[in-house]
Amino acid sequence: MISNQSENLQKKSIPQKPKIIVGTGTCGLGAGARAVLSSIEQELKKLKLQADVVQTGCIGMCVHEVLVDVVFPGRTRVTYGGVKPAMISQILEEHAGKGEAVKKYVLSQMYLDDKTVSPYDGIPFFDDLEMNRSQLKHILRNCGFINPDSIDEYIAREGYTALGKVLKTMTPTEVINEISKSGLRGRGGGGFPTGEKWASCARYSADEKFILCNADEGDPGAFMDRSLLEGDPHAVLEGMIIAGYAISATSGYIYVRAEYPLAVRRLKHTIEQAKERGFLGKNILDSSYCLNIYIKEGAGAFVCGESTALQYSIEGKRGMPRTRPPQSVEAGLWDKPTVLNNVETFANVPVIINKGAEWYSKIGTEKSKGTKIFSLTGKVKNPGLVEVPMGATIRQIVFDMGGGIPKKKKFKAVQIGGPSGGCLPESLLDFPIDYESLVGAGAMMGSGSFVVVDEATCMVDMARFFMNFCANESCGKCPPCRIGTTLMLDILTRITQGDGEESDLEILEQMSDEIKTMSLCGLGQSAPNPVKSTLRYFKDEYLAHIRDKTCPTATCAALHKYEVTPDKCTKCMACVRNCPVKAISGSTKEVAFINKEICIKCNLCYEKCNFMAIK
Amino acid sequence: MKTIHLVIDDKPILAPEGTNIFQAALDNSIYIPGLCYHPKLSQFGGCRLCMVEVTERRTGHRFACAHPVSEGMIVKVNTPKVIRYRKAVMEYLLAHHPLDCPTCDKAGECGLQDITHELNLFPGRFKAVRMNAPMIRDNPLLELNRNRCILCGRCVSACKEIEGVGAIDFQSRGIKTVIGTAFDRPLACSFCGGCVSVCPTGAWQDRTLGFKGRSWEFSKVPTICPYCSVGCTIILNTKTETVRRVTSDDYLGINEGNLCVKGRFGYEFIHSPERTKTPLIRKNGELSPTSWDDAIEYIAKKFRQIINEHGGTAIGGIGSEKCTNEDNYLFQKFCRSVLGTNTIDNIANIKSPALNGLIYESVIHGMTSASLKEIEHANTLFFIGADMTEAHPVAGSMARKAIRLNNANLIIANERGVQFNSIARNDIRLKYALGSQIILINALIKVIIDEKLVDLKKVETSTNNFDKLRSLIDKFNIEEASKITGVTQEAIRNAALLLTKSGNCYIICGKDIEENPLAEDAIRALMNLCALLNSVNRGDTGSGKVSFFFSRSHNNSQGVNDVGVVPGFFPGYVNTNDVSNKEKIEKLWGVKLPDAIFKKDAENVIDLALNGKLKALYIMGENLVVNYPNGKKIKEACKKIDFIVVQDTFMTETAQLADVVLPAATFAEKEGTFTNMGMTIQRLNKAIKPVGDAKPDWQIICSLAQKMGHSCSYVSTKEILAEIESISPVYAGINYDRLRRKEFHWASSVYNKNKSAKYTFSMVKPKSSEIRKNKDLPFVLLTGASLNHQGTFSRYSKSLISVAPECFVEINKKDAQVLQINNGDKVTIESAQNKLTLKAKVTHKLPERTVFVSEDYEWIPVNLLRERGYTPVKIYKEIG
Repeated sequence: MISNQSENLQKKSIPQKPKIIVGTGTCGLGAGARAVLSSIEQELKKLKLQADVVQTGCIGMCVHEVLVDVVFPGRTRVTYGGVKPAMISQILEEHAGKGEAVKKYVLSQMYLDDKTVSPYDGIPFFDDLEMNRSQLKHILRNCGFINPDSIDEYIAREGYTALGKVLKTMTPTEVINEISKSGLRGRGGGGFPTGEKWASCARYSADEKFILCNADEGDPGAFMDRSLLEGDPHAVLEGMIIAGYAISATSGYIYVRAEYPLAVRRLKHTIEQAKERGFLGKNILDSSYCLNIYIKEGAGAFVCGESTALQYSIEGKRGMPRTRPPQSVEAGLWDKPTVLNNVETFANVPVIINKGAEWYSKIGTEKSKGTKIFSLTGKVKNPGLVEVPMGATIRQIVFDMGGGIPKKKKFKAVQIGGPSGGCLPESLLDFPIDYESLVGAGAMMGSGSFVVVDEATCMVDMARFFMNFCANESCGKCPPCRIGTTLMLDILTRITQGDGEESDLEILEQMSDEIKTMSLCGLGQSAPNPVKSTLRYFKDEYLAHIRDKTCPTATCAALHKYEVTPDKCTKCMACVRNCPVKAISGSTKEVAFINKEICIKCNLCYEKCNFMAIK
Repeated sequence: MKTIHLVIDDKPILAPEGTNIFQAALDNSIYIPGLCYHPKLSQFGGCRLCMVEVTERRTGHRFACAHPVSEGMIVKVNTPKVIRYRKAVMEYLLAHHPLDCPTCDKAGECGLQDITHELNLFPGRFKAVRMNAPMIRDNPLLELNRNRCILCGRCVSACKEIEGVGAIDFQSRGIKTVIGTAFDRPLACSFCGGCVSVCPTGAWQDRTLGFKGRSWEFSKVPTICPYCSVGCTIILNTKTETVRRVTSDDYLGINEGNLCVKGRFGYEFIHSPERTKTPLIRKNGELSPTSWDDAIEYIAKKFRQIINEHGGTAIGGIGSEKCTNEDNYLFQKFCRSVLGTNTIDNIANIKSPALNGLIYESVIHGMTSASLKEIEHANTLFFIGADMTEAHPVAGSMARKAIRLNNANLIIANERGVQFNSIARNDIRLKYALGSQIILINALIKVIIDEKLVDLKKVETSTNNFDKLRSLIDKFNIEEASKITGVTQEAIRNAALLLTKSGNCYIICGKDIEENPLAEDAIRALMNLCALLNSVNRGDTGSGKVSFFFSRSHNNSQGVNDVGVVPGFFPGYVNTNDVSNKEKIEKLWGVKLPDAIFKKDAENVIDLALNGKLKALYIMGENLVVNYPNGKKIKEACKKIDFIVVQDTFMTETAQLADVVLPAATFAEKEGTFTNMGMTIQRLNKAIKPVGDAKPDWQIICSLAQKMGHSCSYVSTKEILAEIESISPVYAGINYDRLRRKEFHWASSVYNKNKSAKYTFSMVKPKSSEIRKNKDLPFVLLTGASLNHQGTFSRYSKSLISVAPECFVEINKKDAQVLQINNGDKVTIESAQNKLTLKAKVTHKLPERTVFVSEDYEWIPVNLLRERGYTPVKIYKEIG
């Protein structure tokens, strides 16, 4: 039934009139998509053009937002990048009106689902873009392509076929076996085999069982889950329903942070639509399986991403992790057997069911299967979402997809896995990314935040930043995390202020071990990771702070000398213009000079200098 | 339950399945450091100090409080690695905790301090990260020093789980996490002090202690609380013959270390400057101090004179609900054998005359077989007419434990809304119309019989009169019952279903039932219900039981009746009108008892006084003027009595009317036994010397008897209890020395002897209490217990007064709106007898057209308003 639906809808999706697609994920909105959208509507009226205006989620090229795609009947879909309202009238007039792409704004073109349409000349294809070339988009296949508010568009792209297949032809045990066989592991960070988790929950029988979706994405620099929920919410929901069926859950909760208002709104809409179409609620698709899914908005505590704290939070209690055993699969939410998976994990499920475990397990490395989405941020040219097969190297992500480091600066390290992850240096650029090797290198998969750091970043300061984050977000339950992180932060702050002692490094290493061993939950156990990995790979920077009282990257303001290196100064006056207290003198003919008595060490001159002339 | 074998520190140990390592070690006296785990609270796992090395399939490090024992497990508590990590966590804690032990009252009994010593910690690696938060002193009893807090979460759990209040919780995140109330409002809780007792550091402090001594200086004497009838064990901390504070011990007594505000903070009356410290004799209308010899001489002379002129029956005696069994036993013996009168009574019996007989009957039939502590093993709890939170707070905590651990079902039936917070999944509240309790009980019986919720055949064979009950019940209409009681049929049915579930079912019958004019019928109906429930096939093994608990007000309300300070019974519920006992008692007491004592249907003491037949009244430890239910009557009666002797600790309203006042010792200054409402006899221990010239009551009675020419020479209370044991069948087998180790539960010992008794259903006509409302007096006055006050003692305890300085009249929200009464307005309640002005408290708990005044504020003479049954009153706002 669903596949028929799917074909019909596919036919329907071939446009008869021009279709204009605007990326209105949070990244798009941030870049000004709302203004673009309203000017499109105005211009269409002005030009008296008939066109469908559709919104879509993030396609991954966040750096090029606002993205506007135009599909002229019979032609390929053309993507315009960096669209401003001023560009709209030209694009609409020439492209939507006459079918001629405005090449100066064009980013790429792509075929629609059928390849019968004719492409434009001289426009690169989307998949051939540097950024997309080595990506493997299975999970993000719909993001940026479909209208996330439309269940029809999702169904048109094989949506809910996996659910139909599961309910019609598979027993819960078969579903679990299929997932186990695929080798799918939790995408939330820990990498626990999903099939195994479901199987152990399925073993417990109870009057109520819960399936939970963890959408409390709190890592700084992580936005994969948000993009998925905004761009393809039905895929997540479908995966969740399948999981619910596999463990015989009676109801489900999606725990999503309230800071993601768009995601919350989309999810609510998605659930309503799914209910209307009979994918949720009583007797799903005429089977005997019933499931209801509710949304619980989190109030923004980082620790609520921890499974037991998340469950307490749903119960209305303070989000504090509890000790295990019992594991959640035995007694989780309201002491009932519960399975909690990450958004991305659920999004993997329909793909596995549709294409088969065997197909899926061919992607990736021996122990880590499938693809992984990373949110690539920091000092790269093309920040955005990338989906790569497990085992891709850091170099591929940073230099191929990310386009390398801007401003000709040098790559220094990458922080993988947010505040609980670790910092990997240049020497590990060709390191394959999978669960085991990351842990071996002192980082962790985490949820998939991928922050690139260039040579101008001080690693001690970065460690301090992450430690500050962990210290603030500790729930306060156990002393190693509550007091330990604060003490570590204290030491790191001292080092960055030039008051460090050499014995501090030893203490930091001891504490890293102690906090890891003694903390109650994952937050505390992984909180020292940034310090540990920076100590491992960048010890010389720490020593420079302590012994020489200098910050090699001149980030730590307290250690700055703020002197101009005359050889490097190009007399561009960028520093002079930007100094808020007019402490810098200089002209186009004269090398800049910083008056230290007036200088407030705000660091603006250092940041503004493109030639590293200030130290 | 399966037993697990494991080894901790080379010591082989047995532990039930599901126990965690920490508890297993604790049970076997193996020390594992830990600050957050507490056996009576749910596991928290926050302090991280209990890390141990565990070898199951492989060796690893586990946290003892969070890890269940498993077969063949090997645990090592102190390996070098474990100690290193443990030290690290302690170092973190001490970097945060202020090291102000010299000025901290907790020093010496502080968990953090102990572990610091245990681990032999040296100055740490860190610079301190202290908090410098201000001390929170927003209430008179408890203070919170957040700087000292290590966030073990014990107080939060205790407040929620034990007391059911949940006044405090964690706030904020990270290093700023603190314990506090919602929105940092002043602490508004029941002030049970549970937080202080579980706090491992000096974060929570008892303000009544306030630097009055260091913990190691105190001698700690366990004894029994002198307030309500639960009979908690409290520990008096004394120094230089003064009580400095009260603590509790988790392993002593029936209360597991839980106390209420009265038990923990209501001890200050012992050293109140207002205690009567010397005997007083009325001379020229003034009470003036005198010596013991003169006072005793004077009383003996007076008594002898009255006996000679009017006979012994002209002297009455009022026993005490507060005094020990020994005091009361000697009191009735003195009255009966020395004075030769049977005109003796106590307030508990006066308020509820049928109760003693009914209790004894239900004990014989095995319906009152459980001790109070067994409440925590309940599977179903049925509170009828009982306000556990106010009247018996610690029994309420036991009930909450049953709810938390056994998932017990809870049914609360009451004519007014009572508060009882718990996490019960099945929590049914039956708020029945005033006076319709019998109809409600019969409705439950009807549902049980009609729907065959119990094995009716079994009922038929094990009881008498079942067919009669059936035919009576057949005529009973449940629809009508629902209409009269105001309880929906569905609710009645659900309650009946819960009651007939398997497992232990405990019914707690409260004062609202017992002191009602229809008390006897209501209790008989409840006994019928109980007999029915007894035949539920209980538990898998059928081992579950049904048991009654009768509420008693004071610490020894049960005991005073047990030892026979009632006209109807000799000690141990031996009927006075049964002459066959005469010989036995005469032989034991070594006297010839006058026939008047064996008279049937003795007249009420106060009625006799009103008729002018009573010439003298001997009152021991009872503030009769305030506590007698009808205030108007008692005042008149007292005027008509020529000679009143009061033996009490304070100059109560009654003592002020007396001709002779004898200073009595309080519970802290004497030995003896109390019997709680669960029929459990527990022993007191003397903590300090009597204050001033005060003497224990039994010694006063002895000297009086001796003065009157009787040999009454007991050396100790042990001797008296031995005599009680020999004379009273219900106390048979009790041993004073053994009481030190274990309490004695007389109900079970009596039941075991009389097991064959077959219950006969009594035919209780379903009727409602008459409520005489009229146009002028449209409201009904309800009274009840108060958590913060009880009797004379609380009145002289500064702390309790500061927590609850004022008695309020509670009034329904709707009525308040009509009468335009707001919280705190002065309101006058007027009955046919008298009127009383109090501040109003608007509540939603009361039914409409009722007002509620607590009768436990002794200085508020509610009894002046009251008459028997529901007193009609009117209320109006005082202007100005």
